[in-house]
Amino acid sequence: MKRIEAIVCISKTLADEPVIVSLGHPAYDLFAAGDRPLNFYTWGSMGMTSSIALGLALALPGRRVIALDGDGSLLMNLGSLATIGACAPPNLIVIVMDNGEYGTTGGQATATRSTADLEGAARAMGIARTCTVRSLDELERVLAESRHAPGPWVVVAKVEESAPALKPPQDCVFIKQRFMAALGAPEPGTEGMRL
Amino acid sequence: MTPAWAHGICAGLHASGCREVVYVPDNPLSHILAVLGQDYPDVRTTLATREEEALGIAAGLYLGGARPVVLMQSSGLGNTLNALGSLLVAYQIPVLLIISMRGGPGEWNWAQVPMGRALVPVLDAFGIRHVTIEDPGSAEERIRAAAALAFGTRHPAACLLPRRLTAPGGRS
Repeated sequence: MKRIEAIVCISKTLADEPVIVSLGHPAYDLFAAGDRPLNFYTWGSMGMTSSIALGLALALPGRRVIALDGDGSLLMNLGSLATIGACAPPNLIVIVMDNGEYGTTGGQATATRSTADLEGAARAMGIARTCTVRSLDELERVLAESRHAPGPWVVVAKVEESAPALKPPQDCVFIKQRFMAALGAPEPGTEGMRL
Repeated sequence: MTPAWAHGICAGLHASGCREVVYVPDNPLSHILAVLGQDYPDVRTTLATREEEALGIAAGLYLGGARPVVLMQSSGLGNTLNALGSLLVAYQIPVLLIISMRGGPGEWNWAQVPMGRALVPVLDAFGIRHVTIEDPGSAEERIRAAAALAFGTRHPAACLLPRRLTAPGGRS
């Protein structure tokens, strides 16, 4: 499956879940699949996607929180898997678009192309539910299962690179303020107040 | 006995509405963690593997409505730089950084000196305002001032803990 197909498949299942998405092609494809205020597009801080999602999941235990990460990004912050395993938030779902390459920077191979196994790493860090999916059917099935089976989840989706066609909004403060308002608690300072 | 400065810091954090602390530990910071554990059961502490990761977790906590604090040693600030710039500063995400200093007067470990010396210039280069706690009596007020700066203006701010505060007598 192509990454855009996988991300469209994920996007179709979304209700009111916030999604933290890794910079570059995963963010571009999530935007192309359907922009929504509950998408938090990162434009830098490579590797931080699963950590931001962990913090959000801890702050909002009543909501499912999705991290849409890449293999190159998660490899940059593998310690995050240890922290997710230790904190064990049941409402966190980390989905890794694993294309075995740094797609945004020209397609250089990552370690998952040869030896690295991100699902194995997640399991070794004590994360409750892990799987690797290779087709849209498998991805759909595991997304449905993740609605009922408490996490944390790490879903590694083996995908092929595809050329993105669109870019999300680039103003970081706009992305943040729109996201927080959509979560139901607008950022302090963005609304007037009684004197 | 936990030192007075650690009690002052925790009182300041609590009074500022901070209930989430993400940390990578060091010796002086362990006093803050001990006071939080004893006296502030409504404050959650979360251990990170690396300081950059701690900033990512703190950013997510803020997006979810918290007023997050990150505890780190000065050496750890070097591990955070891209996330500091491209996440906290770029998105204007307020996190209160409490940084235990190494590499200044009294330091015995040369390897701590370069990062310790660079810390304030690095914060200044990012436009991150910082206060220093000089004595135990002012700890609570300084923390409240730094928290007001961070959460009032929606931008990260830092509070520095020099060795003369945390290891009086020059012990490192």
